[in-house]
Amino acid sequence: MAELLWLIPALPFAGFLALALLGSRMPRPLVATIGAGTVGLSALAAIAASLALAGSAGAEEGITRTLWTWISVGGFAPAVALRLDALSAVMTLVVTIVGFLILLYSTEFMAGDEGYSRFFCCMDLFVGAMLTLVLADDLLLLYLGWEGVGLSSYLLIGFWYKAEANVRAARKAFIVTRVGDTAFALGLALIATQLGTLRIQEVAERAPLFWGAGSGMAVAAAALMLGGALGKSAQLPLQTWLPDAMAGPTPVSALIHAATMVTAGVYLIARMHALFLLAPVVMGATAVIGAATLLMAGLSALTQSDLKRALAYSTISQVGYMFLALGVGAWSAAIFHFMTHAFFKSLLFLAAGAVSMRLRGEHDMFRMGGLRRALPGAFWAFVIGAASLSALPMVTAGFYSKEMILERVWSSPRGAGWLWAAGLIGALITALYAFRMVFLVFFGEKRQETEGRSGARVMFPLAALAALSIGGGFVPMSRGTWEAHALPLTLAASLASLLGIAGAWFLFHRRRGMTERLAGSPAGALLRRFWAGGWGFDQAYDALLVRPFVRLTRASREEFADPYSKGVARTAGALHHLLSRTVTGQLRWYAMAIAAGTILLIGMAVFL
Amino acid sequence: MTFRDLLPLLPLMLPALTAVAILLLLAFHRSHRLTAWLAAGGLAAALLLIPFACEGAPRRFGALLVVDGCALFYTGIIMAAALAVAAFSYGYLARRRGHVEEFYVLLLLATTGGAVLTASSHFATFFLGLEVLTVALYTLIAYERGAFGIEAGVKYLVLAAVSTAALLFGVALIYAELGTMEFSKIASLLDAGAPVSLLMPAGVALILVGVGFKLALTPFHLWAPDVYQGAPAPTAAFLSTVSKGAVFAAAMRYLVPLDLPSHRSLWLAVAALAVVSMLAGNLLALRQGNIRRVLAYSSIAHMGYLAAMLLTGSPLATAAAMFYLLAYFVTSLGAWGVIAALSEKEGDAERIEDYRGLAGRHPWLAGALTLMLLSLAGMPLTAGFISKFFLLTAGVEGRLWAPMAALLLGSAIGIFYYVRIIAMLFAPQEDAPPVRATHWAAGAAIGALVLLLIALGVYPAPVLAIIQSLIAASS
Amino acid sequence: MILALLIILPLAAGPLAWLTGRWSRSAPRWISLAAMALDLALAVALWIHGPMETSWGWIPQLGIGFTLSLDGLSILMVALTAFLGVIAVAASWKEIKDRVGFFHFNLMWTLAGITGVFLASDLLLFYFFWELMLVPMYFLFLWGQEKRSAAGMKFLIYTQSSGLLMLLAILVLYFMHAGATGVYTFDYAALLQTPAAGPAANMLMFGFFIAFAVKMGVPPFHGWLPDAYTHAPTAGTLLLAGLMAKTGAYGLLRFVLPLFPEQALQFAPMGMALGAAAILYGGLMAFSQTDLKRMVAYTSISHMGFVLLGIFAPTAQSQQGAVILMLGHGAATGALFVMAGALQERLGTRELGRMGGLWETAPRMGGTMLFLALALMGLPGTANFIGEFLVLVGAWRTSIPLATVAALGMILSVIYALWMIQRVFQGPNRENWKFPDFSLRETVAAAAMIGVVLWIGLYPKPISTAAGPVLDRTMPRADLSAQDEGGEP
Repeated sequence: MAELLWLIPALPFAGFLALALLGSRMPRPLVATIGAGTVGLSALAAIAASLALAGSAGAEEGITRTLWTWISVGGFAPAVALRLDALSAVMTLVVTIVGFLILLYSTEFMAGDEGYSRFFCCMDLFVGAMLTLVLADDLLLLYLGWEGVGLSSYLLIGFWYKAEANVRAARKAFIVTRVGDTAFALGLALIATQLGTLRIQEVAERAPLFWGAGSGMAVAAAALMLGGALGKSAQLPLQTWLPDAMAGPTPVSALIHAATMVTAGVYLIARMHALFLLAPVVMGATAVIGAATLLMAGLSALTQSDLKRALAYSTISQVGYMFLALGVGAWSAAIFHFMTHAFFKSLLFLAAGAVSMRLRGEHDMFRMGGLRRALPGAFWAFVIGAASLSALPMVTAGFYSKEMILERVWSSPRGAGWLWAAGLIGALITALYAFRMVFLVFFGEKRQETEGRSGARVMFPLAALAALSIGGGFVPMSRGTWEAHALPLTLAASLASLLGIAGAWFLFHRRRGMTERLAGSPAGALLRRFWAGGWGFDQAYDALLVRPFVRLTRASREEFADPYSKGVARTAGALHHLLSRTVTGQLRWYAMAIAAGTILLIGMAVFL
Repeated sequence: MTFRDLLPLLPLMLPALTAVAILLLLAFHRSHRLTAWLAAGGLAAALLLIPFACEGAPRRFGALLVVDGCALFYTGIIMAAALAVAAFSYGYLARRRGHVEEFYVLLLLATTGGAVLTASSHFATFFLGLEVLTVALYTLIAYERGAFGIEAGVKYLVLAAVSTAALLFGVALIYAELGTMEFSKIASLLDAGAPVSLLMPAGVALILVGVGFKLALTPFHLWAPDVYQGAPAPTAAFLSTVSKGAVFAAAMRYLVPLDLPSHRSLWLAVAALAVVSMLAGNLLALRQGNIRRVLAYSSIAHMGYLAAMLLTGSPLATAAAMFYLLAYFVTSLGAWGVIAALSEKEGDAERIEDYRGLAGRHPWLAGALTLMLLSLAGMPLTAGFISKFFLLTAGVEGRLWAPMAALLLGSAIGIFYYVRIIAMLFAPQEDAPPVRATHWAAGAAIGALVLLLIALGVYPAPVLAIIQSLIAASS
Repeated sequence: MILALLIILPLAAGPLAWLTGRWSRSAPRWISLAAMALDLALAVALWIHGPMETSWGWIPQLGIGFTLSLDGLSILMVALTAFLGVIAVAASWKEIKDRVGFFHFNLMWTLAGITGVFLASDLLLFYFFWELMLVPMYFLFLWGQEKRSAAGMKFLIYTQSSGLLMLLAILVLYFMHAGATGVYTFDYAALLQTPAAGPAANMLMFGFFIAFAVKMGVPPFHGWLPDAYTHAPTAGTLLLAGLMAKTGAYGLLRFVLPLFPEQALQFAPMGMALGAAAILYGGLMAFSQTDLKRMVAYTSISHMGFVLLGIFAPTAQSQQGAVILMLGHGAATGALFVMAGALQERLGTRELGRMGGLWETAPRMGGTMLFLALALMGLPGTANFIGEFLVLVGAWRTSIPLATVAALGMILSVIYALWMIQRVFQGPNRENWKFPDFSLRETVAAAAMIGVVLWIGLYPKPISTAAGPVLDRTMPRADLSAQDEGGEP
């Protein structure tokens, strides 16, 4: 199996190539089969590989396969090499399985779109790039996947390219993440020059040998890596692209938010944890950024009226949890939360997609309501997802992972009480906004009629993801949650979650009118606008970066060298005209010139 | 005096004899064709004699003439150039009414004067050659172009008289100072440390005025554009090649032994002449709309480049100058040849605008003119590239930084106006008049010049070898 | 002889094309195509064969030989020349309608000159070819766009006058060498043996550097470039950007560094700074352009900045990166210019403001342009990425601030590349453009260029194997420290 590791990313890439070259001429069923099928096969391959890995003796070590040496210059030789170990196996499984479910869902969801084959083409590229990212054994190859993910998200966010706004959102996503990527690239340059390798294992081995803990180089390298992670994972201060990214089709959002893209940053830090351990400052920063992001985005999610936008902020917030976990060194907790989040967030997006599909593409929660009877399937799927997101105690996967994070934040030597408190408040907010969505969309009075029914290709992924959102918490990773000393912490977390759900019921269902009045008051409206607008980051960047940049480029549109070239030409022209005036055509003048020249020449010869 | 003794002198004499023969003939029978054949035959014979003459070289004829390798080289290219001019003249004159035969007589006489100049080793012959050349030129310039030509001829006459007066006075001053008019004696006297007063540099400066006028070095250049514009095209070709080449050869012979680098003030004077000519010539040509004037100005610049070679006097510089002159002859003749060929039938093709779309009408003439202009600009595969390279090499060897900088600057300016004409040649033109054939003689001459141009540009080694052996034999 | 054949092929094809052009329109095209295809085949064969050298006497009196030599670096460049030559013929197949023969004559001769530059191993011969390509290139402007004559003239004057400076430097070097050894020669190998010394050597290096910087379009020596790239015909721009800019970079690697090692090392920080400035300047200007070709022209300046940075870093990685970027830029930016030409052919305009939403009409063109935009921004998997990343790694070793500036260029590249894609292919199709998508000929040409970019991006080893030994000889470098040796797997 190990020899066939390359198949896992290669299959989606093959699908991508086939669709890119011939997709426009294929019948739709074939497009769907290739698009989803290659990822399904890849999922099967991933399962087989993971089983083989778990069964093999060197499960701890992992399997490495070098395909070819990519570059070889002056002792610097990054390779195209893949590696499957526990971490990448989890990632691979989640990416392929969730990805497959999303693609399956899309075969129906996108049925009416004219860019059908283009969609699957890009989706396959997306999955393939993400798989390259997680399986890469070399940071440079990882970077290839990293950029590939950025590219595919760009293509998919701007999928409906005829609308200027979508394209702008796509561009924004690419550019903002590219800011992070550039930091990442610089980090790679630093590591390559300092450690002489980009092989992840070798970096992990050499970094402690070459650099002391807390040394400048280690801090710089980790900080640059963190910069890359912040961009891709939409953490403060590079989070602004994600809410706009919902411009793409809903399955794209599901893929971006759940299985690919935003989790890349989490994976990177987990992968490079040996490096981060050498830079406590950076780890502290990671935790603080995570905590701040989860609170900020949670409050933003609470005030959205657009369903997908609310989910987008929710993602930022949940990834904030992962960063918090990474910051305190709880690597496996972060990955665990990544996994459960992948399940319930994709479930939520797909359910939201199922809802808006039946409402002619409506995304505004305030124009929905009372849909639980009309759309029972979507309702239950959404509720399960929301419950898992809110970490409903004991029964949901989200509870176990979030609880694990909070427990680690409390107990880890790198953690701190106030970080824990932030997480706990975040949990309360999470439950609040999660069930706010539930109540606004599915309860209350009905405002729009639904049309049509979702088919099996939509319902099956929902069911499967719902099952995973519940059962995904009982994987072996959740061991250790039940240690005795943690009981009070568990109770606190559970309480926060329950309190949040109850609060949502009270504020958004029972006393909805009161809440709306509160939000309508001047202070409330101000706060609401501020939170809903993403805390003014967009405006600030616009004023501080975008507009000055545009103004600068507009002002300097003229080539600076042109005046010089023109000046030289003009000087020569002027000299020409000046000299031309001496050629008068008059004989006496010519004779005078000869006489003058003679005098001059004699003067030079005699007196110099 | 046997025939063998006379052999080296024969190339110089043949044109003169031919001229006499033609004059005799004309008394009885006027025939343009016969005259032209005779003239061409005389020149060709002179040209063919040169290799044989070389065997007898170097040979001194008293104090007056020295026929050495260099002199024969210059004589050779002068004869060849005169031959080409004769070829251009035939077609050019054939279309003009009136007595055209005397043109060839004057051409031959002027050529004789030029040839004598190249071999002169004494101010007497120097002056004699110069005057024979110049007097013939007065008429050649004014020939058959009406008032325009007469104006040009008169301008040349008056100004040449002024400059010749200066030259004579300079000769007189030197004679007064050193008591000799022989170039080699002057040099050796100075070398020996003969006491000289300020009259000596003043005399040299005055001679420089005369030379500068002939070469049209700034500030003695003002006549050039008017005369080039007014003269018949073949005369202009002659004026810009033979007349300049001969004077330069004489100047070389006179000034190089003087060892200019050791006479700071004179060196500076010549350097100033060279540099100013390079810049002024190129700048004046920059936006000039008349192709004849462009070529006039361009030749001012080229003479400036060439004059820089007087500043070192090294064998390399001499060789470079000879090669440069050869390349310049080929190029300049070619360019004027095309103009003459076009003037045959389209009135006088003067304005650059007249050349618009020539590539469509006369592809071969346009191609030839393009090559000539590229050579003037110093582009590879043409003689101009190699010759400019030699010039620069010699300049760098002699550490002539300022003149070389001016050369580079001048070349950079030059590219603009040469290429401007080329662009005009290739510009599209809708109403192209039908193609009319050029006279075969002119066509053949231009073709030969093109071949020579490319041969010199691609494989200059044999010619360079000849030049170097000539120099080695002469010194 | 085989080496000379590389030059003779296009040199002979030129007049033949011109002559046949009097009777047939397609004959010059086929002749040129065949010549360049043969050239390409020959180049590939020579690549496999390995280095070789030929020498004839030319002007022995001055120590000038007709010496051609082919090593790893030159073969890469020659192969690129032949490849882009084929593309150039293909790209002008429909665009050039009048005086087809003369056009191909100029095309072939320009290519011959460029090939000669990459092969010459005698400084004067090098200069000869250096100048040889100018005039035919200038003639190519005859088929150009609106301001062609002014643009062509600017190109000619800039390159010619800087070339003269180089000639002066060559001559001074020649006499310095003769003064030191008594041997008068322009032979490259001989001149390498006696490095120039003293304060004059600095001036000499600048003489070379300026000539090369002008060709590369390094600000502030780039004044000719935007206009020339914009107003030349497609094939002309392809040659200018794809090849002539490379002759400058090649010259730096071949002459400036090896002939003036000490001076170049002293100048290196300045050179790197110029490179970094070019990256930023090109990136900023590219974003503000409204003319598609002009925009690509500025991206070219930016990329050449990367090359300059890499060359002067000067480490093994960065120079390899520079070479790979040269090839990648040649193919990718060249293809972009072909793309711009194809768009102009169809739309009759290059104004970005009038385009938009073209994807629907021409998805194949859109896909091609998208890929090229990705190459422009250095996405991994493209040759440009390998090049830029290696430059970054090498530059980081020498100067962290400048490496950071270069990295900023990577952000700028995303901004302008995406902006370009958006304005051409995305958004609403306001003017309701309808036109045929890529024809088979264009598709094949685009696919070939994309193929090259991807090939080098995924498997650049043949490139680094070929160029490596040459680059290692360019100048003493101190970058192969113990740490790196430990880095060998």
